[in-house]
Amino acid sequence: MIKQVLSLVAIVLLAALIFAPMLINTPLHTSLTPLANYYATQGADDLGAPNLVTAIVVTYRGLDTLGEVTVLFIATAGIGFLMGKKKKLITPKRPASELLQNGASFLLPIIILFGVYIFMHGHLTPGGGFQGGVVIASGILFMMLINQDWSHNVFLFLESFSGFFYVTIGALGIVLAGGFLDNRILPLGTFGTIFSAGAIPLIYSLIGLKVGTELVGILHAMRGEE
Amino acid sequence: MVSPIYILILSLAIGFLLSVIDKTNRKFSLTAFYGVLTFNVLVIADWFYRFLFLGVPTLTINTAGFRAPVSINLQLGVQESFVLLFTNLIGLFAAIFLYKKFKESNISSLTLYLILIMGVNGLVMTRDLFNMYVFLEILSISTYSLTSFGKTGKSLSAGFKYMLAGVTASTFFLLGVVFIYYFSGNLNIDFIQASQFTNYGSIALFLLSIAIFIELKPFPANGWALDVYEAVDSGIVSVIAVVNSAAILFLFYKIMPILPERFLNVFGIAGVITFLFSNMLALKQKKAKRLLGYSSIGQVGLLVASLVFTANAPQHLIYLIVGGFFINHLISKAGLFWLSGIVKHENISDWNVLRGNRSLLILFGIFLFALAGIPPFAGFWAKWELVKLLVHSKMLFALSAILLGSLFEIIFLFRWFTLTVKSDIAATIPRWDASKIFSTSFLGVIAIFFAAMIMKVYYGFSLIHILPVLAVLVIDIIDFLPSKVKGLLSLLAVLAYGYYIYPFESNIQLFFGIIFIVGSAVNIISTLNRTGKSEGFYGFLLMMIFSFGNLIIATNYLEFFLTWEFMTISSFLLILRGKQAQKASLMYMIFSTAGAYLMMVGFAFAPQLMGNSPLVISLANVQLPLISIILLSIGFMIKSGSLGVHIWLPEAHAEAEADVSSFISAILLKAGVFGLLLVGISYVKFAPSFDIFYWVGWIGVLTAIVGAFLASFQEDAKRLLAYSSMSQVGYIVAAIAMVSHLGWVSALYLAFNHMMFKSALFIAVAGIYYRTHTRNMYEMGGLIKKMPLSYITVLISIIAVSGVPPLSGFGAKWLIYTAFISNGWYLQAGVLFFASAVSFLYLYRIIHSIFLGQLKYEHQDIKEAPVWFIIPQYIFLGGIMAISAFPNLIIKPLNKIAMHYFGSSIRIDGYSIFSELGHWDGHVVMLVTMGAFIVPLLILLLLVGKTQKVKQFNIVYAAERPESPQTTHVAHNMYAHYRKALGGWGKPRIWNFWHSASEWTHSLADYFRHIYTGNGQTYVLHIILYVVVIYIVMGV
Amino acid sequence: MNLVMTLGFLLVIIGLWAMLTQKNLIKIIIGFSIIDTGVHLIIVSIGYIKGRTAPILDASVSVADAANKIVDPIPSALVLTAIVIGLAVTALMLTFVIKLYQKNKSLSIDDYQELKW
Repeated sequence: MIKQVLSLVAIVLLAALIFAPMLINTPLHTSLTPLANYYATQGADDLGAPNLVTAIVVTYRGLDTLGEVTVLFIATAGIGFLMGKKKKLITPKRPASELLQNGASFLLPIIILFGVYIFMHGHLTPGGGFQGGVVIASGILFMMLINQDWSHNVFLFLESFSGFFYVTIGALGIVLAGGFLDNRILPLGTFGTIFSAGAIPLIYSLIGLKVGTELVGILHAMRGEE
Repeated sequence: MVSPIYILILSLAIGFLLSVIDKTNRKFSLTAFYGVLTFNVLVIADWFYRFLFLGVPTLTINTAGFRAPVSINLQLGVQESFVLLFTNLIGLFAAIFLYKKFKESNISSLTLYLILIMGVNGLVMTRDLFNMYVFLEILSISTYSLTSFGKTGKSLSAGFKYMLAGVTASTFFLLGVVFIYYFSGNLNIDFIQASQFTNYGSIALFLLSIAIFIELKPFPANGWALDVYEAVDSGIVSVIAVVNSAAILFLFYKIMPILPERFLNVFGIAGVITFLFSNMLALKQKKAKRLLGYSSIGQVGLLVASLVFTANAPQHLIYLIVGGFFINHLISKAGLFWLSGIVKHENISDWNVLRGNRSLLILFGIFLFALAGIPPFAGFWAKWELVKLLVHSKMLFALSAILLGSLFEIIFLFRWFTLTVKSDIAATIPRWDASKIFSTSFLGVIAIFFAAMIMKVYYGFSLIHILPVLAVLVIDIIDFLPSKVKGLLSLLAVLAYGYYIYPFESNIQLFFGIIFIVGSAVNIISTLNRTGKSEGFYGFLLMMIFSFGNLIIATNYLEFFLTWEFMTISSFLLILRGKQAQKASLMYMIFSTAGAYLMMVGFAFAPQLMGNSPLVISLANVQLPLISIILLSIGFMIKSGSLGVHIWLPEAHAEAEADVSSFISAILLKAGVFGLLLVGISYVKFAPSFDIFYWVGWIGVLTAIVGAFLASFQEDAKRLLAYSSMSQVGYIVAAIAMVSHLGWVSALYLAFNHMMFKSALFIAVAGIYYRTHTRNMYEMGGLIKKMPLSYITVLISIIAVSGVPPLSGFGAKWLIYTAFISNGWYLQAGVLFFASAVSFLYLYRIIHSIFLGQLKYEHQDIKEAPVWFIIPQYIFLGGIMAISAFPNLIIKPLNKIAMHYFGSSIRIDGYSIFSELGHWDGHVVMLVTMGAFIVPLLILLLLVGKTQKVKQFNIVYAAERPESPQTTHVAHNMYAHYRKALGGWGKPRIWNFWHSASEWTHSLADYFRHIYTGNGQTYVLHIILYVVVIYIVMGV
Repeated sequence: MNLVMTLGFLLVIIGLWAMLTQKNLIKIIIGFSIIDTGVHLIIVSIGYIKGRTAPILDASVSVADAANKIVDPIPSALVLTAIVIGLAVTALMLTFVIKLYQKNKSLSIDDYQELKW
């Protein structure tokens, strides 16, 4: 009871003293900040990517994104570490229904293709490696639901090497271009086409693969065991 | 020259690949893992060297081919590389420590560990706020996962609590970062200025800074951290406590420039509060790892506080203070956590298994002493400079809180130490593996290396000031030799040392040189009676003796204080050697440390000294402020066992080994006297308007009388002598406090005299103890025939104490009463006179109970004390007889010494000494008294022809033959009637006072620590409330 | 003051209430998720400029007048990272709960207080 009251007091004070003034004193900006303005005006010339968010995510703030991939990676590792070795997977009492089985096999290629599309076009349209990766992982989830287990090793290799190549391409930026994760190791190409914006599509594809396989890893680790 | 970005790249690349590599062979993955960690250390070390010694400018690494703020940039300068070098080193060695577990555990643990270290490197180098958030999350998530390394149920729930607290903090962090972007339009801290945050904008800064601050575990919003420290595997927890904390601390340091000053001040105070309370709460802790947890939290609080308080200090001082505390925390905490992994016992009282391995015990000592801020380790220097800084910037609240916290720290650390060294071994000795011991030893070496660097490079101490520590090291190397050889070598070393420092600049130094060095040299002879190896004894003995000597040649406050601390720690370790000395030595350490802290502040208030002459000379021209005089006097009076703070004294004297007690009583107490004299030297010219020494004089007088009474009621011979020392030093203190010529002559005379007769007495008692195996006087009796030589020593000595003619004590008493009366301190003189009368009680008791009366059955075959005890006794007796018969030998030089500061008040003519009140001729007194004895003796011999020898048991008592003659020897509770007469005055009030102070503190600590309920939700509530409270206090 | 940010703060408060008062571990994690979502809304709202469009240069937004037509792309980039990190943390917390439940067969936070003082 005392805890409840204290919690209420704490939250009310937090809201009244900190959040409320914050809310009241931050009206919407009416123009871009100088930094955002730089991205808006120079971004296209710099990196050749029409999607400015992608330009920021993959290149300007590429270190954040590498970190983000790493966060997901260690979360997967941590989950695997915590869950420990699987003794024996639960075999469902009855196989998945025919509808689910057929639906999944039908949808899987489409979902994967869609995922690939999303991360390949990350520099042109909304979306990118993370979104694409999640879509791919949802496809694999289907496979798990119909209990058609793929060897986890495939994903493990895919995950490891996509991550490794991502870092390697980043490092190539130091040697061939201006710095770590610089996308201009490849020609910028024609603005607005799929093979443009230097290494962004490549990097985003690797991120997509990595995120997808990492999420699969989480799913794998969390699957029930007997 | 490898760009530091490759540290991140390689860690990530290998981290990603590790699980694939592991598919082939664990050997490969382990090689890659340790390879990367080593690579990190090497690259950073290379850069650190460049920045520090080659003057390479700070390195900025842009990513993505753009400059900040367009892209994220990293920065590596001397500070970053310093922090990274140590975090990576500890990271590497923690990994080596965990080698066995890594070999067997899931590959994910290696990946997590590698990425954790990568996160630390990124966090320290990045300049972008959001990037800091990302790296902080990398660090946190890998840490959360690794908490389950031990895989116990406890570590899981601790990890979950950790996560709850962590996500709460990162929510605030994220909010802070985006609102900072809103107000400043930037995410790079180099492009953000505090001025961009007008009125409510500072809330954004508040959110960011409080999030980081919560990650630093401020009291009381830190229960989660304690649970983690307690439950998680000791290798991993060392990383959390040391590496993670260091990185987050550096994060705090990085954002400091954009925070308004009022924020920083509040954080500084909150750090101090954390330090104080963590250490206080640790007092009740019995579990080693949780104890270390409290201590870690406290240390980080201290680090935050020192970061804030040193903000405006000169660069080199910041490095020394913050860097010193930093290194100290890193090394000692990692070392102790690793030891806990080696010991594998939860309870601190089971740590005595360490005694099974000498090098581990030494390491334990090193880490513990380093943590406690004992010289020569880094924490000592940092504390000294921080105290000076706080005094100069008038932050007395923070200063007292830090010192009080440090005192609590000393209490629990040294309780742990003494328990480990002294308690009976009950637990079993676990098996130790090599990788663990290797890593832990490495830290010990680093600690010593830094100590040496600070002393040699920063302060430039000459070898002589480091000699006390070197002595320990040297003796440690030759410790395999038999103790007699080491004893002789030590004796030679002390004489050589004395010869080396001999040409003194003033006579007062010479005088104390004789007390300290010659006195010690003679006392060493008694230690030659030791058999076996006496491991560790001579090292600390030499350390103590060299410290005595260094006190008199110290030329500035720091040299003096450093030496003082060397003396304290070495004497503590010597006292600890006694069989039952655990409590006694702990009490000694606590009182000494409290005194040392007062002195430290006293010195910090004192004006800077000019020139390079010893303190006894230079202080004469320095006006100490009143506060300095008060604090220094208290500090020195604690060491000399003055009334009120004397309770350590009898315990330490009694429980120390027999041959150590004489050093403590006869010589160590004189160090306190010497210190008080130093204060007096300044007092002569610059007495403050408030005559504080008048009250010091009264304390001395009361010490004299109370000590005499207490001595009379002791059954234990050594305790009796201890209280007698207390009483005698009370006289000396009172005499110094007079600050007059005659006062000082008598004080020094008394000091010299006391050194000799108390050494002789303690060594005599040591010999008796050696033969009878008891210190209780009532268990002795009639030893006069069995141990005649010892009897003569005691007889002569007690005559010298009592002030009965013809021996030296008479001269001392004559001088001191003359001094008191001519100074107008009549009442004090009266009390002292009474004290002298009381001292007859105990002096009679000691000779009566031990030597007179009836011999006990079990002592029928007892022999005289060993020759090694007899030799020093008779050297001292010779000294006493010499100055008794020829008082000029000593009065003349003392007169000269005192004339240095005052006009002379006595005249010496031949053997006579004239004062305004009268005169005394020691020579004549001696002749007359001897005559008074010899003439009757001759008459008796001539006139009485036949004498009959009475056998000892041939007695008739009150007209009946007692069944057992021993019962006629009244020795137990001998002065019961006097005690009764004292009534309520006889109660141990002072002891009770300190005892209840201790109880009270402990129960307060117990009360406070109940806020840590163990409920993760409550911990989150603590955090939210803490945020609100700090917000209100800051007045954002 | 803007609506999205108000909603965001509201979610943070609701989530915090859940975290502080719910006994069930899963509900506490849901509380955290709500907080996280709220924070993401706040981040997005900071970059929003009234009447503007997504920061993608295409036929409707030319490079020349992009600066006047698009919203701030930086918070969008940040929120992407924040979402993924939130996901990772949530997944890890849930794993802790799974393991705790497997060991102690309890989901109440009050049953995990054996470490204290």
